[in-house]
Amino acid sequence: MKTQAQLIKGTLWIHLNGRTVAVDANQGRKSRKKGAGGSSDQINAPMPGKVTKILLKEGSVVQPGQAVLVMEAMKMEYTLKAEIAGEVESVSCSVGEQVVLGKTLVKIKPEAKT
Amino acid sequence: MAKFSRIAIANRGEVAVRIIKACEEMGLETVLLHSEADINSRAFRMATKTICIGPAPTAESYLNIKANIDGALAGGAQAIHPGFGFLSENADFAEAVQKAGLTFIGPSAESIRSLGDKVHCKELAKRAGLPLVPGYQGENQTVAELIKQAEKIGYPVIVKAAAGGGGRGMKLIRDSADAAELIESAQREAQSAFGSPKVFLEKYLDRAKHIEFQVFGDSTGNVIHFFDRECSVQRRHQKIIEEATSPSLTDDLRRRMGEAACAIATLGKYKGAGTVEFLLQDGEFYLLEVNTRLQVEHPVTEEVLGVDLVKMQILTAEGNFVHDPKLIRSPRGHSIECRIYAENPYMGGVPSTGLLGRIEWPEGPGRRYEYGFSEGDTITSFYDPMIAKVIVWDESRSRAIQKMIRVLKDSIVFGVHTNIPYLIEILSHKEFVNGTMTTRFIETYFADALKEPELTESEKKMIESAMAELRGSPLASDPTTTSPWASFWRGV
Repeated sequence: MKTQAQLIKGTLWIHLNGRTVAVDANQGRKSRKKGAGGSSDQINAPMPGKVTKILLKEGSVVQPGQAVLVMEAMKMEYTLKAEIAGEVESVSCSVGEQVVLGKTLVKIKPEAKT
Repeated sequence: MAKFSRIAIANRGEVAVRIIKACEEMGLETVLLHSEADINSRAFRMATKTICIGPAPTAESYLNIKANIDGALAGGAQAIHPGFGFLSENADFAEAVQKAGLTFIGPSAESIRSLGDKVHCKELAKRAGLPLVPGYQGENQTVAELIKQAEKIGYPVIVKAAAGGGGRGMKLIRDSADAAELIESAQREAQSAFGSPKVFLEKYLDRAKHIEFQVFGDSTGNVIHFFDRECSVQRRHQKIIEEATSPSLTDDLRRRMGEAACAIATLGKYKGAGTVEFLLQDGEFYLLEVNTRLQVEHPVTEEVLGVDLVKMQILTAEGNFVHDPKLIRSPRGHSIECRIYAENPYMGGVPSTGLLGRIEWPEGPGRRYEYGFSEGDTITSFYDPMIAKVIVWDESRSRAIQKMIRVLKDSIVFGVHTNIPYLIEILSHKEFVNGTMTTRFIETYFADALKEPELTESEKKMIESAMAELRGSPLASDPTTTSPWASFWRGV
């Protein structure tokens, strides 16, 4: 089948034999939506959805892999975990809040190297 | 005997479309009971009449019993089809529908209570002498008690919502360290998805296959089965690929499991379409649960038997359907269904939402598509991420697999990411091809996120030329060749 493409709201979608690639039409780079990766010292919403539980408060000590908050989208629960050790610097969402993709939910102050 | 002229649909998406199609074939009008968020959907455009029953959150619309009944009455329907999910297995809803003078298209409230409640169903099965997986189904729902029971059963243990279905409110506990967190999470999901936090525990069988039998009780209460399906490819306890018939059953097993399925459905005085689910391990089968509704994967049964289960459901509700022994046939060929989810396979399957662009489901013999959205519709974060089902039929299992891979490669969905690349990987895997996969297939062979393949040089060139064409650059307009972007669409 011929390759096909379509521009939707600034993203170019291209169909390549069973694979679909989304490219940011302004930059020409593969569209990595913000928050998908994020940096390791903050937890961003990987999808639009609702915050259902916040497990740690500001000032809490956190370990890598520790569950920090729980989100719900499309009827499924997703537990978001810390990538690094440190201390919860700020929590910028509340339980029940509907958040957009890529919103920063929690910032973590990395553990000081000794 | 009732005669319907208009049927209300208490559901959305591809299932609503499926029911509308059956109604149209039978000359019946439809009333779609929808939320504010589903105005841009295929079912909305197809239904004879549409009635908005509330805002987007499911508790205020699709799960609101009163709103659904009021809508059906206002729309002039004589019956309500609940589809699957939402209120389809809710006995209170079935009862309220009857009280309002409408017909519930499905089993009686009594049947739903005795078979649909997983805990009650197991007691019934015990009486019928059906083998069960060891577990805890007690009334004590404190986290401490549940942990104690889990230790007694021995890890790994699976915790499930008593009123559940569709893989929601289900968590696998591997050891005591995660028990509290996972039990609480299952209770929360159970509460939010089914309105009850009640859960039960079951020993997790680690090499099991998931086999189910489609049962159907006619208007006289005579139950027969329409053979089996295998649904072993599951992720997060949600089925992704289903097939009919199962590649794992011997004639003897098929006969014994079919008899057991009919026995429990008969005991539950079952009318209409239902499914008896089993786990099969080391040649032994155990009753898992009974689904007192039509299932997402019903098309694979329809494809191998040439029946229309939704039509049969409606006729049964009218009091008009009796099994014809002369017509009861054997399965022919093989059918596979893949569920297409709006999610990013390269990012651990996180849901993907957005405005849909071009959608293309390539037609051909032995191909069937069930979908609820088209170009210009929006996929929101309020509902299930399943946006479509692709079903194929062919003479043999290996041909059906081959056909499915081709069909998936040719299907186009723009605007949201889908699990199509993930499905292609699974269908190509040797365990799947050999039919030896178990319910642990995905966790054994696939990481949570599929590794994104590098773009080849020619693919990179294609993307560059698409970008160039987009900008109207001379690079793209080589007058000597036909542009590969003949069907390039200029945005929405």
